[in-house]
This record gives sequence, C-alpha cells and structure tokens, in this order.
Amino acid sequence: MSAAVTEGDTTAGAPSGGVVVRDILKQFPGVVANHDVNITIRPGTVHALIGENGAGKSTLMKILYGVQKPDAGTISVDGTEVTFSSPTDAIKAGIGMVFQHFMLADNLTVLENVVLGAERLHGIGDAARAEVARISDAYGFGLDPDMLVERLGVGQRQRVEILKVLYRGAKIIILDEPTAVLVPQEVDALFDNLRELRASGHTILFISHKLDEVLDIADDITVMRRGQTVGEADPKTATKKQLAELMVGSELPSPETEESTVTDHVLLALEHVGVVDDTGRPVLKDITFSIRKGEVLGIAGVEGNGQEELVETIMGMYRGTGRITLDGKDVHHWDTRDRREAGIGFIPADRHKHGLLLDAPLWENRVLGHQTRPPGSNGLFITASDAKADTERIVREYDVRTPSINTNARALSGGNQQKLIVGREMSGDPVLLIASHPTRGVDVGAQAAIWDHIKRARREGLAVLLISADLDELIGLSDTIEVILRGALVGRFDPQSVTPQELGSAMTGGGDA
Amino acid sequence: MSSSKILRTLAQAILAPLIALIVSVIVTSIVVSIAGASIGDFWDVIFTVPTHRNWVNITNQSSMLFLAALAAAIGFRMNLFNIGVEGQYTLAAFAAAAFAGAGWLPGKLNIVGALLVAMAVGAIWAGIAGVLKVTRGVSEVISTIMLNAIAGTMIGYLLNNYGNQYGQGRRTTPIPGSSQLSGWTPWSAGDGPIWTLTILAVLAGVTMSIVINRTRFGFDLRATGMNEDAAVASGVKVKRMVVISMLISGAIAGLVWMPALFGAADYYGPPFQRALGFTGIAVALLGRNRPLGIFFGAVLFAWLSEQANPLSLVADISPSVVQVTQGVVVLAVVIAYEVVRRWMAAYEQRELKQALGTEVRA
Amino acid sequence: MLPNIEEGILRRLSKIAVVAVVASLALTGCGKNDDKKGSSSGSNDVCKSAKGDGPKVGLAYDVGGRGDQSFNDSAYAGLKKAVEDLKATCVEGEASDGEAESAREDRLKNMADQGLNPIIGVGFAYSDAVNAVAPNYPKINFGVIDGFDPDDKPNANVAYLGFAENEGSYLVGVAAALKSKAGNIGFVGGVHNDLIKKFEAGYVAGAKSVKPGIKIQIKYIQESDLKGFGDPAGGKAAATAEYDAGADVVYHAAGASGSGVFDASVDAGDGKWAIGVDSDQYLTASKTQQPHILTSMLKRVDVATFNMIKSVADSSPLTSYQTYDLAHDGVGYSTSGGFVDDIKAQIDEAASKIKSGEVKVPVKPGA
Repeated sequence: MSAAVTEGDTTAGAPSGGVVVRDILKQFPGVVANHDVNITIRPGTVHALIGENGAGKSTLMKILYGVQKPDAGTISVDGTEVTFSSPTDAIKAGIGMVFQHFMLADNLTVLENVVLGAERLHGIGDAARAEVARISDAYGFGLDPDMLVERLGVGQRQRVEILKVLYRGAKIIILDEPTAVLVPQEVDALFDNLRELRASGHTILFISHKLDEVLDIADDITVMRRGQTVGEADPKTATKKQLAELMVGSELPSPETEESTVTDHVLLALEHVGVVDDTGRPVLKDITFSIRKGEVLGIAGVEGNGQEELVETIMGMYRGTGRITLDGKDVHHWDTRDRREAGIGFIPADRHKHGLLLDAPLWENRVLGHQTRPPGSNGLFITASDAKADTERIVREYDVRTPSINTNARALSGGNQQKLIVGREMSGDPVLLIASHPTRGVDVGAQAAIWDHIKRARREGLAVLLISADLDELIGLSDTIEVILRGALVGRFDPQSVTPQELGSAMTGGGDA
Repeated sequence: MSSSKILRTLAQAILAPLIALIVSVIVTSIVVSIAGASIGDFWDVIFTVPTHRNWVNITNQSSMLFLAALAAAIGFRMNLFNIGVEGQYTLAAFAAAAFAGAGWLPGKLNIVGALLVAMAVGAIWAGIAGVLKVTRGVSEVISTIMLNAIAGTMIGYLLNNYGNQYGQGRRTTPIPGSSQLSGWTPWSAGDGPIWTLTILAVLAGVTMSIVINRTRFGFDLRATGMNEDAAVASGVKVKRMVVISMLISGAIAGLVWMPALFGAADYYGPPFQRALGFTGIAVALLGRNRPLGIFFGAVLFAWLSEQANPLSLVADISPSVVQVTQGVVVLAVVIAYEVVRRWMAAYEQRELKQALGTEVRA
Repeated sequence: MLPNIEEGILRRLSKIAVVAVVASLALTGCGKNDDKKGSSSGSNDVCKSAKGDGPKVGLAYDVGGRGDQSFNDSAYAGLKKAVEDLKATCVEGEASDGEAESAREDRLKNMADQGLNPIIGVGFAYSDAVNAVAPNYPKINFGVIDGFDPDDKPNANVAYLGFAENEGSYLVGVAAALKSKAGNIGFVGGVHNDLIKKFEAGYVAGAKSVKPGIKIQIKYIQESDLKGFGDPAGGKAAATAEYDAGADVVYHAAGASGSGVFDASVDAGDGKWAIGVDSDQYLTASKTQQPHILTSMLKRVDVATFNMIKSVADSSPLTSYQTYDLAHDGVGYSTSGGFVDDIKAQIDEAASKIKSGEVKVPVKPGA
C-alpha cells in the first residue's frame, strides 16, 4: 500500500462541514445493502465515490437524497445531524441529485423543466427566467431557457438537470455516474462545469467506476466494496492500480487453488466470435478460446467490457458471427433451450433479472430452465411432485435457508436465492457451467459453499466459464484466466503465478502497471 | 409457518374481495344519491331474490362473460394486453353465423363446423396483432384496438352487401332448425332455457386451468408473464409464445357468442349483444386472471346486469348506474388486492426473519 | 438484453391502457347517469303524477332513454299527450348500452306481468323481443316503433309502427336544393343501414326534383356499429368535410351525432345551413346553432305513440303494419326560425304531390 491510501480507518479527521456519514446500515429484506459506511465530504470539494457495480453506491446515494431511510447510522450536513424522509427534506438541507437517467419532459422548454415542481421559488414568469439565465451564465452552461428539451443533446440535458438542482438552492450536488452517457468531449465540458461549481463553493459527490475520470476531477476518493466503505485515497498520489485493488479487494481469504483436473477433451470452443449491438457498435471482437472438461476458465475484466454479451452469446440469447462448438457440435442454429438441454448450466450475473421468478414458489423456480427435462416435466406436463422432491434435495444439499419449498423466491435472502440457483444449475448433470459473478452479493458463508460446489463439479469433469469482478475468486478457482477489455480478449494469465495487480493492470489497458 | 400460509391465502381470497365489495357499495350508493334516486330502492332491486327467469338469464350471460374474460386472461398472464376480444368475438360470431346459416354440413355437424370456424376466425384476428408485435414491434394494445374498428366496418360492409333484409337492418341467413340447440329448460318454458353451449365455458375453463397450471406450455407462459428476461434465459422463445398466446386468446374469444347463436339468436343481426369483449376485460381483472376468480366475476357481473334491468321500472333509476357499480368493483378489487398483497408480503418477511434468526446479516 | 428497455416502457403503457379501459367502463356509466339526472328522477316525469283511469301504458325506451332530445323524447311526448287527453297512467323502462337480447325480453315481460296495456317498444331493436314475448300475452297489445315482424307467423296483438322517412326527407331535400346557392349539398348518415338509406334516398330525390344537376355528397359515420348514432365528433368530421368540399346545406340522419353536424355548420360560417331530423331540432339547439338550422325533418313518433295508446283506449287496437306517411301526418318538416318561409309554397306543393300519389318517393338510394 502506498502512503496515500489509508485502508480501513475512514473515521479519522474531524469534519469541518460538508457532509459526514457515519456507520450507515441499510438492510433490504434478506440483503444487507450498506453497512459500516463512513464518508467525510469536505465542503467545496469534488468527492468521488468509487466501487464495482453492486458495491452499494446506489443505496448510499438514495439514502443521502432521502429516497430511502437508513436502518442505523447518522448523516450530518454542515455539522448538524439530519434525517430525511423524502427528497424534499434533502433539498431543504441543500442536497440535490442528478440521476443517471434524466428526468426531463421532452416537450417542455428548459425553463419549464427547471421550474416544474419549484414554482414557489421564483414563480413561473420573468423572475424565474432571470434566475435560470443567471445560473446558466454563472457556470458557463450556455443554455437557452426557451429551447425545447427534445432538441438538446445529451450533454446539454445533463446541464439542465444540474441547473434544476441549483435552481432549487442545492449546495451539495450528487452526480450518479454522470459520464456514463457522455462522449469524451462532453466529459471535458462537464468537468469544466464542475470545476466552476467547486470554485463557487459547491460540494460535489461524484459517483463513478471510471478510474481515469476520478483521478482527473476528484479532490478526495472514497472506495466502496461489498456494501461498505473500505478506504480513502488521495488522487494526487494514488494510482489506478491501487484504486482497482481497493475496488475488487485483495485482502479477503482466497479460495484455495487445487490440483489441476484439466483433461484433453475440449468441451466448449469459440472461434472468432463477434457481436454488434443494436446501434452497430461492436461489443465482442474476435473472441477465441476453448474450455476442456475439468477446466475452469476465468474471465477478468472491468464490468461492461463485453462479459454479459459473451455469456448471452454462448447461451444463445444473442446471435453473433464466428463459430461456437459444444463438445464438437456446431451450436449456431441451436436456440437457448437446445443449448440448455445439451447440458449448459447458467448462473446469471443478475439473479433477479435472469435467474428467478420472484413471485413463484421455490419448486417452480427449480423447474425454470429445466422445463423440458425431468424432474421438472415429462415434456408435456409439469411433474410437480418430482420437481418438489428434487427441490427438497437442493434445499438440503446446498443449505438453502427457507421455511418451505412453497415459499416464494422473493422472500429468501440474496445468498439463499443464489444457492438455490447454483443447486438448480448443477442439477441434471451439466457438462458446461457458465457462472457469472456466482458469489456477488452473498454472504461469506454462502460464498465458500458456492466455491466448494464449483470445485467439486470441476473435479467431476465439468467445464466452467467463470466471470467475476472478484480477482481473488478468479485466481483461486480458475485454471486459466483471460482478460477482456472493450469486447476483446487482451491477455492470458496463469493463476498460479499472476497477481491481482498484474490482472488489474491488464483490465485497465495496462495504463500504469 | 403453514398456518400463516393458510392465513395468507385466506386473507387474499376473502379479505381483498370483501374490502373491494364494501368500497364499491359505498361508492355506488354515493353515485345513486347524487343522481337523486333512493339508495334503499337501488339495493333493494339489486338484491331481490332472482326469479327463475332471472336465474336462467344470469347463467347464460355468465357463460359468455366467462369466455370473454378467459380469452383476455390468457394474454394478461403473460403481460399481453389483448384489448381486441371485442373485435375477435364479433367477427367470429358473424363468420360462424354465416357458416352455419349456409348449412353446408348436416345437423349437429354444422354446429361443430361453425365452432371451428369461430375459433379459427378469432384466432386469426388476434394472431394478426401477435405477428405484428413480434415482427414489427407494434404494441398489441394499439393493434387490437384498431382491429376492433376494422372488424366492425368489415362486418357492416359484408352485411350490407351480402346480408338478408331484416326489418330496417340486415342479418345473416338463419341457421337451419336441425342445427339449433334447444337447451335445457329447468323450469317452465316461459322462463326460458339454459343454452346448451354454456357448456363451452365449463370446458374452456377446465382446459385452460390445466394448460396454464399443469403443462410446460403454461409454465412458459406464466414465467414469461412474471419475468420475461428470466424466461428468455431459461430457453422460452418469447416471440413464439406471444403469437401462440394470441392465437389461443383469439380462439377462445371466438367462442364467446356461440352459446347465444345456437341457443337463441339463430343468426347474426341487429340484436347481437355488443360489448361482451370489453366487459370481459373487466371481469378478467376482477378475477385476477384465474379461471375460478373469473367464474365468480362473471356471475357477479351477470347478476348485476340482470338485476339492474327492472331498476327503471321499479325504482326509476337508469339501469346504466349499474355500469358504474361494475367499474367501481373492478377498480376496488385491483387496488384492494395490491394493498393486501403488500401487507402480506411485509408480514411474511417479518415471520421469515423471526424463523431464520438474524442470518440475513452478511 | 438491450431491446428490453423499450419493451418495458411499452408494457407500462399497456398497463395504463388497461386501466383506461376499465376507467372508461366506469365512466360510460357515469356519463349516462349524468345525462339522465334531470329527467329520470325529476318530478316532471308525467308517469309519477298520472292518476287517471285510462289505459295503463308500458313504454320501453331504446338506449339513451328519456332526455335524448330525439327519438325517445318524441315517444315520451306522445305518452304525455295520452296522459293528458286519455287519462292514461304509465310505467317506463330503458335499455342500457350493450345489453343482452334477454334483457329486452325481460323488460317487456315485467311490464306484461304488471298488467300494462298497451306496451310499446321504442326502436326497431325491440322487434325480436316483442315477437318472442307477445304470443305469451295474447290479451295485451304491443307496439314497436320502426318495428317489423321477424318471422312468417303474424301476431294478432302486435302493431308495427313504421314511418315514411323517405317522404319527409324528400321535403327537406326540396328545401335544401332551393336554398343552396352553390348547387352543392350534403347528407350525413349515422349508420349505413337500410333505415338510414331510406332518408338518403328521399333527400336525394327531393333535391333532384328541384335541381336535377345538383351535386349531393353522401357520408356515413359508421358502416354497421350503432355508435354512429352517438358520435358527435364523427358527425362533425363528416359534415366539415362536406362543407369544405363546397356544400352549403347538410342534412343529417345521425341521432345524437347530429349536434356535431350543427357545430360544423356554425364553424363553416354564415350562409351555411344544417337540417335536423326526427324532432324540431331548432327548438333544442343552442343559440349559436339556431341561425344555421334551416329546418328539420319531422318523424312523428309522438303521433304514432299516441295513436297506439288511443286505439287501445278505444278498444280497437292497432295491429300489423301501420305506416305513418305524409298523408297520415306521420312525417313532415318544421318551420321554426322562419328560414323556409320564402320557399314554403314550393315545399307544400311537393308534399301535396306525394300525398296525391303523383310523386312516388324511392326508399332505396339510386332507385
């Protein structure tokens, strides 16, 4: 660790104003979204909050903006403790928020959008227009109050959103991944605006996982991982590599590496696979790799570099170019169901989105993905009793904590939901398991159990494609690691010898490794 | 836990409809009194014990409402909003009446043929919306509404040009006597018969109940409705499911007027009963898209409509007021179910926490 | 899954649409109810105060009921006259939108069970119901306005009260042609059925009898759906199109959609006329509409209703087909507003030619 990065003790230093967050705890039914969250935001600074997707940034933001109430912990603004029960309270305390997805009415003008909902401040007439023009000029926004929003570009719309919170008197502005939607020139313009705001005494909380930008704009950096704040960094001295390590973590107990069980039998092979998205932009470029029986291939990469598309292409949810063979057979014309029937198990990255029917009982979730095979069905009818019996088995063997297999999946905690999915996907003798972030958002106990199950299956000859943001998990479980960057495989590593630092550097394009 | 599960089911099954019913009684009473009529008279008429004749009519009407609601519910179960039941059953009724009227097939075979024609026409009309949705991304809400209008205009054109003169209007050729079904007369002839083909509602209800709850197809359909992304990842071909569900929905819609056609009307013409399709959508919402719920909803609606008939004779209230009651019942049920569901979910969550200790903490 | 954002939005839209459908279901009821407020529950209902010892009349209205300022109200006017002149008492029933055939039958049976006589169904939709019910009550006399016998078995106790709408339409066709400066007139029908085609046929024949070369635009709001009689927006659109295409007089046979036709004539400006139907619509039109309402084709449903009741009171009940034509004062034209005073002589001359049989008015267009 460099001197600039102090891990752990984030409570040090007396707050001199701004926002101070102490020991925030937020539980959702079955999931702890935030715990031990501590941040000190100095007034008049740009403070960056970084972390992988799912690290708990969004929950913290919503708490700061009054959308959700914390279960424990305190928030102070300028030394006064505050409690928000709605965004209105947050705005009163001077906190404004710009969401990633803009909330603007296209068919209204800039002025109307800004004034909408805040008519009491300056009315809707000339006073309001003057105020909008004043703010726009003061920070170099260059917005015409009478322009229809539908005619504005993305960068301008974002400035309208910022103008909206300034108009409402915000001194502290939260920006949720503001650069995600911008092209580089617009990012530069945004940063110029932010510097203007900082110069005029505003405080900015900037949420991102793009390390270059964070180092460029921030005065302070707080890192979140697994729902808690894990460290602070000084952008003047910290490196991308150090930040990446903090984000993905390297201090957790590593899954133990085991003896190789890799055979010569190639089970899954991708040759020159490419995919373009709806807009024609390539999201996967010339992917070639193979996985043998008993082999775990790990894919490392910063999120959003094509991992999802890779998984969905192998599952048949996307059609791409190139050739995919499963156990020697070309699967190009197979749909998702054909591929599943051929023995592909799939642990999706987002279990709520792709893995579960939340409002259906556990045993029906057991059938999901196995609708055409026993014990779920006999091809025509659902065989409920067989499916229920097998669900009991999964609950037992995978230690799914549930009152009953008739309980709806929604009622279970995240970890137990994930164990159910792992148990399901391991059922029916799969030959290939695609595991996308298999332990994300689950507790430590469930994590170890899931690792054990994957290792056992590997010993029994299962081929595994493992995608994870957790580098320790990748290194501990994989026989080979490929690094994906902007849709292409850019490096191949041996987990026996690679370090998280080397991986982190490859994942960010080798910047300052 | 099992006792709480039973409690929950009971609450959902009884509490929500009860709340809804009370709310709608209150709202309707307010409407009736605003209209300047007597609230007592109104409910007196609505809750009069039905005569034999009324029972027969309620049974017959329930069967048609049930079929219409079932058709809508199939789509709703997978988030497909088939607003076009109206057009589908109207066009199917016209086609089946024309087919049966032509009398190409002898006797009862003619009925079977006409039923198949009705199902095919309904299915095709709904299928158009399904195909447009999966190939062109057209919202089925928009396309089915437009198809309703097209169906009406098309029938008008065909009747005007090929229909038989019938008083001031036009109709299809009446179906031959050998193909008519007299029905079952439980009481005197004056009270009328329960139409033979009301049995279609029972058959369709039982079949759909099995298909949705017990078959793989039904599982895929429900999975798509609950979580389309997960369904896709599980191997469901959603586009194909959309088309198939629309076809099934349309085929059932095609049957809606068949009990009346063979039991009473004998032809398609001016006395054709409109609006069953739209009312069916309301009944489907009322019955939470479950066949049993729809059954109760259909009986309730049929009861209200039938009992409302003497309102203007006895209590000097426009029978249209009962449509207010029907609309209010649906809204109240939808809201009451959501309230009770949330309440129950919170309750279950608390129970789960207690039962499993504090394991939730990471 | 990239394409799903859009679908999510669509799904939400769909849900909104369904809610809207449900809401409209509730609101149609509401609307109806509001329309009825003044009349159905008001103390001005003659049936509430009638205490005579004359005939006990059952009057079953069509959809819309009393207060529709048209057909049903006209029947009520006849009933009121019967109460005043014949000491009649009465019970009224009303159809609701989209009701079952059995509901109509039920209504008539309820009236018959109460011992009412005669029982009159307002509108041809009652034809089947009366045909089904009448044989069970041979001592009660039924009448159907615009009705017909659906089968070959004649009913001894049913009268079908028809009108020669073609003859009345002929007269307003004459008026339209005489008033038109542009030599271009229009017709808006509610629903393209045989009944409304009869209006069209008479109107065209009347206009051509005056100016053989006159241009006549024909439009219908709906092909078969009866909602064409309750769609003012549709009526306005059709009439506006005809005015835009050069017509300066437009005649409507579109029930409640006619108010849209009147609005269109107001929008079209001075010198543009509209012709009403069924009752004298000048009397019920708004102040801004009145200067544009040239005349109305009168269909004397009140006369037919009163005659039916009177025949029962006189113990010589009407049966079978009764045609209310010009000669029987069953149709005519109105003079309120005084806009046709200058051409009254010519219209009356046409009327006498029809009465004398010198002119035969066609019942079908193009005949």
